[in-house]
Amino acid sequence: MSLLEIRNVSKIYGELKALDNVSIKVEQGEWVAIMGPSGSGKSTMMNIIGCMDKPSKGEVLLDGVDISKESSKKLTEIRRDKIGLIFQQFHMVNYLTAVENVMVSQYYHSMPDEEEALEALGRVGLRDRARHLPSQLSGGEQQRVCVARALINHPELILADEPTGNLDEANENIVLDLFAQLHKEGTTLIVVTHDPEVAEAAQRTIVLEHGRVAREIINENFGK
Amino acid sequence: MTKRKMFLRMITASLLRRRSRMLVALLSIGIGATILSGLVTIYYDVPRQMGAQFRNYGANMILVSQDTGTLNAQSASDALEVIGTDQVIGATPYRYVTAQFVRSQLSFVAAGTDFDQVQLTSPYFVVDGAYPSGPRQVLIGKQVAETVGAKLNSVLEITYKPSQKFVSGGEAVPGATLVGSAEGFNTNPVSVVLTLDDQMKIASMELDVSTQTEEYGGRLGDETYTKRFIGRAYPLEENDETDVLSGATITSRAVLEAISTAQVTDNATAVTGNTMSMQVAGILDTGGKEESYIFMSMDDMAALTGEKDLYDVMELSVSGTADELAGYVQTMEEKDLGVTARLVKRITNSETAVLSKLQALVFLVTAVVLVLTMICVSTTMMAVVTERRKEIGLRKALGASDDSIRVEFLGEGMFLGALGGVMGALLGFGFAQIVSVNVFESSITFQPLLLPITVVVSMVIAALSCLWPIKRAVQIDPALVLKGE
Ligand SMILES: Nc1ncnc2c1ncn2[C@@H]1O[C@H](COP(=O)(O)OP(=O)(O)OP(=O)(O)O)[C@@H](O)[C@H]1O
Ligand SMILES: [Mg+2]
Repeated sequence: MSLLEIRNVSKIYGELKALDNVSIKVEQGEWVAIMGPSGSGKSTMMNIIGCMDKPSKGEVLLDGVDISKESSKKLTEIRRDKIGLIFQQFHMVNYLTAVENVMVSQYYHSMPDEEEALEALGRVGLRDRARHLPSQLSGGEQQRVCVARALINHPELILADEPTGNLDEANENIVLDLFAQLHKEGTTLIVVTHDPEVAEAAQRTIVLEHGRVAREIINENFGK
Repeated sequence: MTKRKMFLRMITASLLRRRSRMLVALLSIGIGATILSGLVTIYYDVPRQMGAQFRNYGANMILVSQDTGTLNAQSASDALEVIGTDQVIGATPYRYVTAQFVRSQLSFVAAGTDFDQVQLTSPYFVVDGAYPSGPRQVLIGKQVAETVGAKLNSVLEITYKPSQKFVSGGEAVPGATLVGSAEGFNTNPVSVVLTLDDQMKIASMELDVSTQTEEYGGRLGDETYTKRFIGRAYPLEENDETDVLSGATITSRAVLEAISTAQVTDNATAVTGNTMSMQVAGILDTGGKEESYIFMSMDDMAALTGEKDLYDVMELSVSGTADELAGYVQTMEEKDLGVTARLVKRITNSETAVLSKLQALVFLVTAVVLVLTMICVSTTMMAVVTERRKEIGLRKALGASDDSIRVEFLGEGMFLGALGGVMGALLGFGFAQIVSVNVFESSITFQPLLLPITVVVSMVIAALSCLWPIKRAVQIDPALVLKGE
């Protein structure tokens, strides 16, 4: 059984079909990139997968559960338990330190554990910046904190919407290396990107156009 | 780390690291709490404060003897005990007798009193000069002073004759001594002292017509006139025109009136009169009847009349509500102290009316401030929610349930409420103190109970004010707010 199966999903805003009868499968442990021009429905799809939005039509099976029919309360639980989110604009609680931001994720998930949070920061190379506020961190550092926050609860699926969109080359590579590590550990990754280099790091790229799947590209060079 | 610890850590971080925004919220709660606790303090203190103010308008309770006789010092002090010394601001005894100036033969009312107490029960008295402080000094009413031409430090010779005193009333009985007086020629008094035998016949009669013109009414002073009454039944038959002497018509009619209106007294004859020289220490200006009196100390009064510890009335200035005062009156009645207490309705009623109006006003202002505070806090919290839309969205994206969002905001709000409450209770006391000192010229004591009450009330207000902002916070859609730049 696939970890994620999207069946004939449409998302309609009035006249506009942000997603138009999309069907996609993502296997457990797979690393998938999603590309497409602006407005093609990438973020719309990520929100639906991330349990922050519901499709107008179709089914979304996550771990065999159809999340298109669940209540928003249940969706919050699923998101909390199974999904780690990374955003283009980082999004941190601006009055909490790096380690506290990671702990917020633990707080909603289970139990805050400062040691574990510090370890996660160590993994993204920021252990020594743990007590800094977001305003004292660079963009790249903030995004790495967000990666640490996304992986802290060991989610089955990490959703990253343009994670490197605001990063320079060096930081982009750090983040991609982190993704590669997570992939090795068996985490499923879905990464939206405009950047062909980021897409090439993935095993497979799905290209959306006008809310439809235009094509899929298998990365033959993956792992080489 | 427990969830609770993390919760507190997040809240304190939010309050401490977002200081300027939180200060605004804290300030609005704090100021609201300050005014509220201040007003509540004043609300409860107003009766005391206003009571003190009203005591400036004079006595609010009067003690008189239960029968029409005089009040003795003992029953007066028993009555004061009923009220309790803390409640009695002033208690002024008055003893009134009619005395005369030796030189002009003019009569006036002499009043014995306690000047220390007078200043407490009649603070509105205006004295030119000073209150008498030593023996043989008087405070003379402005009107009398003008009539006799008395000035500060003038020496007045006054005399008192016992028969001229206001006598105690009662039915004439066999063996009784009766004292009576009436106005004769030129409104000058004539007085009689009669004794009755056991058949109610007049056994003896003393007549004082010394105030009358010598060659007319004054003639009646000799024994030939008084003799005609001896042995006659008392009361006299009416309209006995033979008793009216031509050439002394007015005086003899006055004598008849004095006889027929004479009242029983036991000691009138025992009283010995006196003449004393008194120095004017002060001239009294009240705009009232007191201007026609001459006031002296009780000791001087005793020396003048030869009677000690007798009062006609006692004026009391008592602190308390109209209901409390009425309670004292009733207790005195029940205890049967031989004293009748009366409330000066003019004072007690207007005090009650003003008080309830003032309290209503304070209550109204309190309610308005309460609403304003809530609007203010609510607006601030609303701004806080708007400002933190992204953060709320993020928390939701990270898995925060609606309830966690509610608890977090309510937690922050109530924390601010508690802090503002402590601030408000302390500042509110200061505020009430300032108002009290400036408006009522007296200070108030800190009510420890007000601290927890203010804190709880502020927390409740803060929580209520947060309800609407929290509702908005819960409605935030994470997908929408996290997407934006
Ligand atoms: N809440 C919404 N209401 C109405 N229209 C929406 C809403 N969200 C997205 N859309 C529309 O749906 C379409 C797809 O939007 P989406 O955000 O998924 O694009 P995208 O592929 O993520 O683009 P980009 O690369 O610029 O982020 C766009 O035309 C957008 O205007
Ligand atoms: Mg997008």
